[in-house]
Amino acid sequence: MSAVVGEPIGGAMKTKSNLERVLETGHFAVTGELGPPQSADPEVIRRKARILKGHVDAVNVTDGQTAVVRMASWAACMIGKEEGLDHIVQMTCRDRNRIALQMDILGIGALGLNNLLCLTGDHQKFGDHPTAKGVYDVDSIQLIKIVKDMRDDRKLQCGGEIPVAPRLFIGAAENPFADPFEFRVPRLAKKVTAGADFIQTQIVYNVDKFAEWMKGVRDRGLHERVKILAGVAPIKSMGAARYMKTRVPGMDVPDSVIERLQGVTKEQVSREGIKLCVDIINQVREIEGVAGVHVMAIEWEEIVPEIVETAGLMPRPRFDQ
Amino acid sequence: MLAVQIKPEEEIVSLIASKMLFIFECLGCRDVHYPVETAHELIDSLQEQVVDRVTVDYLCHREFVQEYIQAYAEQIEKAQAILVFSCGVGVQVVSALLEDRRVYTGCDTIHLNGFQGLTAKEYNCEQCGECYLNYTGGICPIALCAKHLLNGPCGGSQQGKCEIDPETPCVWQQIVDRLVSLGQGQTLEKLGAPKNWNVSPAP
Amino acid sequence: MQADLMDYTKFRLKPDQEIREVFEHANRMFILFCRKCYKRFEEEGEEQYVHVEEILGDEGAKAAGHVTIDFLCNEFLSGKKISGLDLAGCDSLGVVSCGLGIQFVARLFDGMPVYALADSLPHAKNHPAEVGYHGISLEEEKCAACGQCYLNATGGICPITSCAKGLLNGPCGGATNGKCEVNSSVDCAWVRIRGRLGKRGEDFGSESVAPRDYSKPSLKVKQDLSAQNRVLRGEGFYGGVHPLENKEATAVKKIRSLPEPDRAIIFLCQHAGKRAKPLVAVGERVLVGQKIGEADGFVSACVHSSISGKVIAIEERPYPAAPRNELAVIIENDGKSELDPEIRRRDDLQALPRERLLEIIKESGIVGLGGAMFPTHVKLSPPKPVDTLLVNGCECEPYLNADNRLMIEHPEEILAGIEIVQKILGVDRVLVGVEENKPEAIEALARFVERNPGVELVSLKTKYPQGAERALIKRLADRDVPPPPGGLPFDAGVIVSNIATCFAIYEAVARGLPLFQRVITVSGEGLSKPGNYLVKIGTPIRDVMEYCCGHDVGGLLADHDVKMGGQIMGIPQSNLDSSVVKGTTGLTVLRKYPVAVSGERDCIKCGRCVEVCPMQLYPLFYGYYGRQGEPARAIEHRVEECVECGCCEYICAAKIALLSFIRQEKAYARSADKA
Repeated sequence: MSAVVGEPIGGAMKTKSNLERVLETGHFAVTGELGPPQSADPEVIRRKARILKGHVDAVNVTDGQTAVVRMASWAACMIGKEEGLDHIVQMTCRDRNRIALQMDILGIGALGLNNLLCLTGDHQKFGDHPTAKGVYDVDSIQLIKIVKDMRDDRKLQCGGEIPVAPRLFIGAAENPFADPFEFRVPRLAKKVTAGADFIQTQIVYNVDKFAEWMKGVRDRGLHERVKILAGVAPIKSMGAARYMKTRVPGMDVPDSVIERLQGVTKEQVSREGIKLCVDIINQVREIEGVAGVHVMAIEWEEIVPEIVETAGLMPRPRFDQ
Repeated sequence: MLAVQIKPEEEIVSLIASKMLFIFECLGCRDVHYPVETAHELIDSLQEQVVDRVTVDYLCHREFVQEYIQAYAEQIEKAQAILVFSCGVGVQVVSALLEDRRVYTGCDTIHLNGFQGLTAKEYNCEQCGECYLNYTGGICPIALCAKHLLNGPCGGSQQGKCEIDPETPCVWQQIVDRLVSLGQGQTLEKLGAPKNWNVSPAP
Repeated sequence: MQADLMDYTKFRLKPDQEIREVFEHANRMFILFCRKCYKRFEEEGEEQYVHVEEILGDEGAKAAGHVTIDFLCNEFLSGKKISGLDLAGCDSLGVVSCGLGIQFVARLFDGMPVYALADSLPHAKNHPAEVGYHGISLEEEKCAACGQCYLNATGGICPITSCAKGLLNGPCGGATNGKCEVNSSVDCAWVRIRGRLGKRGEDFGSESVAPRDYSKPSLKVKQDLSAQNRVLRGEGFYGGVHPLENKEATAVKKIRSLPEPDRAIIFLCQHAGKRAKPLVAVGERVLVGQKIGEADGFVSACVHSSISGKVIAIEERPYPAAPRNELAVIIENDGKSELDPEIRRRDDLQALPRERLLEIIKESGIVGLGGAMFPTHVKLSPPKPVDTLLVNGCECEPYLNADNRLMIEHPEEILAGIEIVQKILGVDRVLVGVEENKPEAIEALARFVERNPGVELVSLKTKYPQGAERALIKRLADRDVPPPPGGLPFDAGVIVSNIATCFAIYEAVARGLPLFQRVITVSGEGLSKPGNYLVKIGTPIRDVMEYCCGHDVGGLLADHDVKMGGQIMGIPQSNLDSSVVKGTTGLTVLRKYPVAVSGERDCIKCGRCVEVCPMQLYPLFYGYYGRQGEPARAIEHRVEECVECGCCEYICAAKIALLSFIRQEKAYARSADKA
């Protein structure tokens, strides 16, 4: 095994991604998220995309989130794209080996999708097919590099050349709240070195801890090499809050958040949860190095327009060419 | 090291029905693990069908099995099926030496960390052919990470525990701790290239 | 098999360039080599070390030295060796071994970097699947340990290890001429499976086999079994094995007297040390309990008649505990069981001073009844001070129950005997160890142990050979005795006494009975009357066999082994012409099995003998050098420290007659000392 070091290419636009353009022109970016159905029904996607259009710069479609079978991200992105909204395909390393991953990347590129988020993938044991074999032929960092080399050097992982490169804006996830904490910034550095263009973080409820992580990021100058979007999400109910606090690995929900929601009546909780989300958006906007937010309102997509508006992030930039 | 569990009774019974049986039971790895009470309870319950039974050690050893088959030729001949309690290796050896007889296994085989020893280790070696231990402070992520990752922990590690089980240490947490304590934290930032999962053995 | 040993290799040195890269981080590196398992016996470390120095060229000084360790992955023993190394000036360690060895060493050294200088190689050889584990013996067949065995549907050919794609529903269609598309030198597994099923009058099923469940084996199961295993292996002392106990047949059988023999064969040497001098002549009449042999010298013991009758001969007879003849007094029973009138009860036990007690024990011919037959009066006069008495109630051998029944049926007498020994030794602390497979005995003793505050009853997890002195001392008192041949328990301040010996001491002191009978367990396979019998010393083994087998025993040894003792350490009898001696704990009759240990087999270097040796030795060398005819090399490997417990031979995967080689080598060592 040899260690590899690479340099990210700056300057001109790498892709046709709307998100890339928003970020490169210095705007505070907003991305959203869309969970595909466990079904072959395309209408669900269309409906959700219509809600988000105009309120976000691009929208993620999750891929086998928590190892549950749903419509493949790339397919859902193709459907949603027809609504005129830039989509971010997600791919995990859990389900496909490097052959399938590269094949799908070529396909995504050919289909005119512009963004790809590379993830390791939740362990299969969490999903509805716990007996499945977890592939993990490559990990998220290796996948980032694979996409980058395909895009910028037109090279496959084996070294073979491809005539037409997939032009994908490369994203990765990072969790400032996971353990080991001291490794979270170096891990980000690895993703940046591998070629990540943008990062979406795990949902921020603990703003202080997030700020601490951002300081580490800035100390290494990483915020200048990669665009960081802070994950935010409204909370719909006390149950949802508690679930996130206790049952989701790597989520940090401070007691103050629980207390805030407990301070209002049951009927008011979701309203307060929306206010909370807006507050956090405003707070993270003030942190140096944060280039945008990633709004995750899974199965509550209809609330995203209100959040984006209330946070003063409307209208979204348009680039007419 | 291989260890066995006895298959569910229904599964075994549905295979052997009321056939007359010759039973091989291997105790070669009893000191690793062998559920002798469960096995004997089952064998005793089949008493009426048993032509004969023999307890051996190292049913994986072809030469020995051959001698047993010769010595018990008559009983094996009388039996309509041969039921074997051993790991998959022993069953395959018996089956290969008794090609035209119905040979069944009463066990499922699992693996405990280690090779041919008797004491299970708290680490393991997957014999992957490209030892990574120099980049991980001597702790193997291929054997011990649930996703066998090479570039650090996934985002699911919680307080040093793996996302799939709160009792299982996150091996990457251990690796990070070790490298940092050795002053080798920089090693963590080396980009590990995709692994060759099919390294050939030495000729 | 031998060819396989040559070819199979678990690891090889990393490519030169990688080794150079490793050394960039080090200034002074000490290198540990594992002398590979499943390989030749010749030294491998040296040539590899030279190669490493060559690679380093001018920087050769970075290699600080090296050592080669057998079975580096044996944590306990290797850990000891490594902690004894002088690593002054070294800033790192390099390890040439499989991944187990490297990770083990890395765990030992928290503060120092440990580098892998070798790559572990995959299991496969000509196998397209390259998955799966070998058994202990290196056959072709491997097991994938999938936890959901498919062999019942595939005629006993594993589709996971034999099919490159691990298919479960038949061949993929890529095979050409029955050969796998991945490796054309290998047969398509599914073609083989179909062929095998055909031979059995079977074929592929019509239903498809469900996708494999990769969540099996579950992590929890693996963790639980590993934890159980580590407890099992680590219990009490290093090494040891857990054979099937096979005690059920006789555990509940009350002690009964075996009928007296018509003729008794009483050996004049039933003890360690010099043979007793005969006190009787042919033609003389003797009584029960009459002294017929006088102790000759300090380490010797008296011998008494166990029946009344006429001495008809004093001649050599086959000895049960060794392959030689020994002088014995042959007595014809007169049927009267007349007791020697000198034998009298004593009621003033408490008043007897220790010197008198020792004298009674000597006069009564008492020796260690656990099997070693060491004269008790000598043992109880240790040359060094002792502070603790340990009593062995383990009876760790399979099949035996004599001590067990004694404890159940005579706990009070045993305790009284223990107290006598305690008084002789002048110790305040007594620990009685009984294995937990004897709950009734523990309960029976517990009631009486309460009386004496200095006596503690300890229930021990069953493990062979827990009753071996050193193991017992380690387990009960947590002390280490220096190794044989020089070291003895009093070097650790303890004396160990067998429970039956304590009972015999009570009988001698309280009832005036010298040692002329003892309880033995007759058990095993094919016996009509297995049980625990009070047997007169000198009873011919043939008589015992006839009584317990229920048929003529003339042909018994043709298809059975008869052992003096238990299954593992018992001494096989080559004829039935010997007799019961003081050290006979039992007679175990076992069917001869098709595969017996042999001195003609090659060691496969699996390392298991090393894992089970309670004396922490490397028994594989005793077999190897025994076969090479080089006993001196065996002595270099400390064969004299062996206590012949038999664990190595028991676990040996190649079924090598290790005990025979060991005994030869120890005899050689003894004669070399005398020379």
